[in-house]
Amino acid sequence: MKNSKITFGILGIIIVGIILFILNLFVGSVTVPIDEIFKVLLDDNPDKTLSVIIFNYRLPQALTALLAGAALAVAGLLMQTLFRNPLADPSMLGISSGASLGVGIVILLTGAISGTAVSSFGWWSTIGVSLAAFIGAVLVLFVMLAFSSRMKNMTTLIIIGLMIAYLAGSITDILKFFSLKEDIHAFVIWGMGSFSGVGTSKMPVFATSIIIGLVVTFFLSKNLNILLLGEMYAENLGLNIRKNSVLIILVSGYLTAIVTAYCGPIAFVGLAMPHIARFLFKSSDHRLLIPATMLIGMDMALVCNLIARMPGFDGNLPVNAVTAFIGAPVVISVILKSRK
Amino acid sequence: MEILKTSALSIGYDDRTVVSDINVTLNEGDIIALVGPNGAGKSTLFKTFSTHIRPVGGKIELFGKDLVYYSPKERAKLLGIVLTERPDDMFLKVYDVVAAGRYPYTGMFGKLSEKDENEIKASLELVGVNHLIDRVFNTLSDGEKQKVMIAKAIAQNTPVIMLDEPTAFLDYPSKIELFSLLKKLAKEQRKAILFSSHDLELLLRYTDNLWIIAKNKPFAAGQSSDLLKNGTIQKYFELKEADNDYLLKEIL
Repeated sequence: MKNSKITFGILGIIIVGIILFILNLFVGSVTVPIDEIFKVLLDDNPDKTLSVIIFNYRLPQALTALLAGAALAVAGLLMQTLFRNPLADPSMLGISSGASLGVGIVILLTGAISGTAVSSFGWWSTIGVSLAAFIGAVLVLFVMLAFSSRMKNMTTLIIIGLMIAYLAGSITDILKFFSLKEDIHAFVIWGMGSFSGVGTSKMPVFATSIIIGLVVTFFLSKNLNILLLGEMYAENLGLNIRKNSVLIILVSGYLTAIVTAYCGPIAFVGLAMPHIARFLFKSSDHRLLIPATMLIGMDMALVCNLIARMPGFDGNLPVNAVTAFIGAPVVISVILKSRK
Repeated sequence: MEILKTSALSIGYDDRTVVSDINVTLNEGDIIALVGPNGAGKSTLFKTFSTHIRPVGGKIELFGKDLVYYSPKERAKLLGIVLTERPDDMFLKVYDVVAAGRYPYTGMFGKLSEKDENEIKASLELVGVNHLIDRVFNTLSDGEKQKVMIAKAIAQNTPVIMLDEPTAFLDYPSKIELFSLLKKLAKEQRKAILFSSHDLELLLRYTDNLWIIAKNKPFAAGQSSDLLKNGTIQKYFELKEADNDYLLKEIL
């Protein structure tokens, strides 16, 4: 693909992203007219209610979607290249399952032990949930890192990741069996995913952690490119296979752990966005694929967030219900189109 | 000039030694064929040379220094490999594959300099596939893929190139073409070339030196014609008298 076409494509994705971002600010259960948005954003003296809606709710939510979309998409790209498997995604490392288990333990056990549902602890419960998800995700990540530093064979690593995911899932199920109904409800809601959990207060930490991870991925592009030839060739070309897979799993797992901690397990974005990037740009060069996948992930997360909050869905449709519903047809159409 | 030398080398895996006591040298401009039945240890020897696995015993010296003391980056500039495995990415282009050969020479982000670009083009030209440069690797024929992988090894610019079964999947004319390409590399570029193959008759015809590896027999090395004359070939490949006579008559 020619450079001019690539620039054109990237610019197009960015423009779509900007439009989607603005749409995210004014569409919702209360529709804010577009001129009001600019008043709120730019004027000294905006409407108080609208200002609260936009600054305290919609702006952080759109930013969360943007960052989470980029993080999950690029984490998926790293997994797919490392395992040279088009179906690989961040959940393959068992990280989302680890996060679920962490949250499951906090939500479900508190209820079982104290007899009251976690949600009754108010503000503390949201912090507790994020923290539990993060700890669960990081623990699984460490287990996977320990295995990957010992193994050269990627297939066994995939199997171990899947087994850990099943193991964590089954422990979560056992916990559910002993839990209060309200708690199970709270757990299910968390599992549906949402971009609204970060808010203004947690945004600085969330954004900084994600941006650090995203920046690091750019430094992996050379090694990822060489991995496409196969491990034996990569090794012969001077790549330290074990060190490199530990690094890739660390970065991908870190991004997934943070997003899952704040937004719940968001499915599909990590699996599908890298394919859209590859097919759109017909490239396997990670110096292009990494930024392209991030930008496409941003756009997709913004679309999903927008649809989840459409005026008809006042109760905030779960993001997970939308990602695949919107994403799957997009992936199929992109693939069909490029095959012509 | 001596490039690679093994002393009392034993190869194999943790729990079993496949072949022991290998003492051979590989010199500048050498082209050597490694033959032997399946499972005798050809791939194991390749994996050991490419440091994918460690020797069970003995040592391998590359330019007089034990192979284990080279950093992966240093080694990548001295020894290039071509395997039977093929990259299968949907969008990987011929150019990308050959450019990968420049990996040991590029900086942090893998940006190719003008020199790198020239080396890539020169490698493709040397192998005779410059017209394929923009093609997707996956869509090439087996013979074309083989040549592109060899171009990758040339772009890697190493004094030693090792090829595992380069003639597998190729039709007869392509096999001959490949042999002459390897000969050209050895002669014109002064590279030391080691390749494994099954095609005994072809090897006897087209290559001068053989290393023979077989189960429960000592590692043998020598000139093809000598090995045939002194009966080593017959013994190692368990050839019938008639087949051996045929080879003797046809080739010598």
